[in-house]
Amino acid sequence: MKVLAVVQRYGKEVVGGSEAHARAMVGRLGLRHDVEVATTTAVDHWTWAEWYRAGDDSVDGVRVRRFAVASGRDEEFKAFERRVLFEEHSLEDELDWPRRQGPHSPALLEFLHRHGEDYDAVLFWTYIYEPTVLGVPLVPERAALIPTAHDELPIRLAPYDALFRLPRAFGFLTPEERDLVHGRYRNEHIPNVLLGTGLDPAPEADAAAFRARRGISGPLAVYVGQVSEAKGVDELVAAWERVDPAVTLVLIGAPGMAIAPRENVRPIGRTSDEEKWAALRAADVLILPSRLESLGIVLLEAWQAGTPVLVQRDNPVTRGQVARSGGGLAYGDDLPEALAGVLADGRAMGEAGRAWVERECSWPAVDERLEWLAQEAAAGV
Amino acid sequence: MSRRPRLQVVVQRYGDGVSGGAEAHARELVRHLRPHLDIEVATTTALDYWTWAHELVPGEDEVDDVPVRRFRPASGRARDFRRYERAAFARDRSLDDERAFLRAQGPHCPDLLEHVRSRAREVDHTLFFTYIYEPTALGLPLAPDRAVLVPTAHDEPALSLSLYKPLFHAPRAIAFNTEEEKRLVHGRFRNSRVPHDVVGVGVDVPEDVDPTRFRDAHGIEGPYFLYVGRIVESKGMPDLFDAWARFQGTGTARATLVLIGNAEMPVPARDDVRHLGRLGDRDKFDAYAGAVALVMPSRLESLSIVTLEAWALGLPAIVSARSPVLSSMGRRAGAGLPYASHPEFAELCALLMERPDVARSLGRAGSAFVSRTYTWDLVVEKYLDLFAEVSARAA
Repeated sequence: MKVLAVVQRYGKEVVGGSEAHARAMVGRLGLRHDVEVATTTAVDHWTWAEWYRAGDDSVDGVRVRRFAVASGRDEEFKAFERRVLFEEHSLEDELDWPRRQGPHSPALLEFLHRHGEDYDAVLFWTYIYEPTVLGVPLVPERAALIPTAHDELPIRLAPYDALFRLPRAFGFLTPEERDLVHGRYRNEHIPNVLLGTGLDPAPEADAAAFRARRGISGPLAVYVGQVSEAKGVDELVAAWERVDPAVTLVLIGAPGMAIAPRENVRPIGRTSDEEKWAALRAADVLILPSRLESLGIVLLEAWQAGTPVLVQRDNPVTRGQVARSGGGLAYGDDLPEALAGVLADGRAMGEAGRAWVERECSWPAVDERLEWLAQEAAAGV
Repeated sequence: MSRRPRLQVVVQRYGDGVSGGAEAHARELVRHLRPHLDIEVATTTALDYWTWAHELVPGEDEVDDVPVRRFRPASGRARDFRRYERAAFARDRSLDDERAFLRAQGPHCPDLLEHVRSRAREVDHTLFFTYIYEPTALGLPLAPDRAVLVPTAHDEPALSLSLYKPLFHAPRAIAFNTEEEKRLVHGRFRNSRVPHDVVGVGVDVPEDVDPTRFRDAHGIEGPYFLYVGRIVESKGMPDLFDAWARFQGTGTARATLVLIGNAEMPVPARDDVRHLGRLGDRDKFDAYAGAVALVMPSRLESLSIVTLEAWALGLPAIVSARSPVLSSMGRRAGAGLPYASHPEFAELCALLMERPDVARSLGRAGSAFVSRTYTWDLVVEKYLDLFAEVSARAA
């Protein structure tokens, strides 16, 4: 079977959950099928500036067709976004959203128009960007959509109304995402699968050495991800003033906000993969304060390391993951109590998480679901 | 008491002075659905399907006691539309060629689209008529949740454009006119999982039909064959005129070809061809009742209402074998005789004149086909079923 994967950015240098998911799935599909990728030249999801050269490329041995970005994110995007999401605006504004958000790539769409039918199945990642929202309508008879949707305002805009009724099949990352999409679009008639994601075995890492290097002897809480308000890190840091001062919070990830240095809150910036795994193994708990996550990969990694987690109660996705696995607790205003609870019962929760991940995220289990999705997309043709 | 369901009907033109199969179909359907639903129509101010010139008053109107909201097109058909058409129908067309074609075809009416989207949230169902024009092509994707599409599609180049794909995949349900249209659309779009039914239209036959009245009024004597519709090249009329001359030249039997409808091309000046222009319904049905057969040379038909009317009155139809819809429907009805060449046309005409028993038995089959497939009671019931399907699934 000839399969095309369409995703807004693609490559080893691309940082992003949906894109990482796409790349992992393309790798698995490539074991069984003739797979290609159609994407843009961008690496950055804000500017969509050209990073890669347009044309043919190869990533992990897979043919990648890169198309030029005619325009990236509009210079006035913030003002435009505010108007479209919160103020009076026209239908035309809504229809203009994908272009002004970027990446606007007519060449990629033209490729789908002319060559989409050369593929048996076309899989699209991420509902929100133009390659998907304008691309699926060009090949609905062979399209599968992995929307990576969460409950955010843009999903209500006009361009997405038709999108969620067009594909032949959906691949959802979590049951919560499926419920969100079904609740909003009443498109239960379109077959779907809970695709989830697969994980390679966690690498060995030296937890004791991490503690020694960082000079941490007491209880350790770790956050991994973008250190920004968007991810809820500001709230977490503020709430940390109310927890047991003996517990150290280490923030790993690109700094996107200023943090006043405190003894028990330590931003350490981006780290190597080895260092991240050492931190996950050393941690007594991983904390994920984000309210908008369509799949908390870092939760799965923590569980691989046998570490329990704390997640924001307002996020139905991560709350659901924790409830299903038994690998931690959800918190709201009660962060100090929840933290104490996890620290008290951490080993059992961590083991429950580990067992759940081994069962749900094994590659053979994911391969089977992915194969179903590709076959379902191709079944109409 | 539960409130009546609300239906929005979207169609490119609507009302008195609008001629056109799909538009007449929409209006007849609205009249028959009216007892069951609260209906509102959204359309343009145009009367003419070629120019889409602004002729009617924008805003609220009423047609057959149904509220109609008209919007003025921002632009009609481009002067050099044929150029856009050529580009969009070429093998190597780009997406931009397709988009430019849709705009150049008209009616381009952004205000109508905005209205359709906002009303779609207030009503229970939106019925979009005719796939090809902008109000449906761009309107349906804005309101797919409760949308039912009446595509009136036939095998024409436009149906291959990428831009029409979402129309056939996004609606809640599709109402086809014929089995043949359903097969065509499913074959091209692979969209058979969208709930659908073959619905078509109903055919009303007046009770008081009198062929003598027609003959007397127009001075028609002897056996005659009948054509009803626009007399225009795209309907295959030049070929019909040639076939007719051939038949009359064989000398087997003499007959008259009676043409009802506006002539947009010259009609041959012959004693055995009578062009009567447009006639009222009573005259038209009287004419069916006295004819040997209906002749239908058109290749591009999604549903020939004229053919159904003729069958309903027990008239056989001689149809172009090159029209997949007419020839296949004729086969299913057992009342259509397809011709692929002029000699075949002549043979069929002669046969029906010489064997009135054969003509009668074909006509009876046609009448039975129409009453089991194309009556308004059935059509209304099928639409109400499709709407119920929409309600069961919609958000």
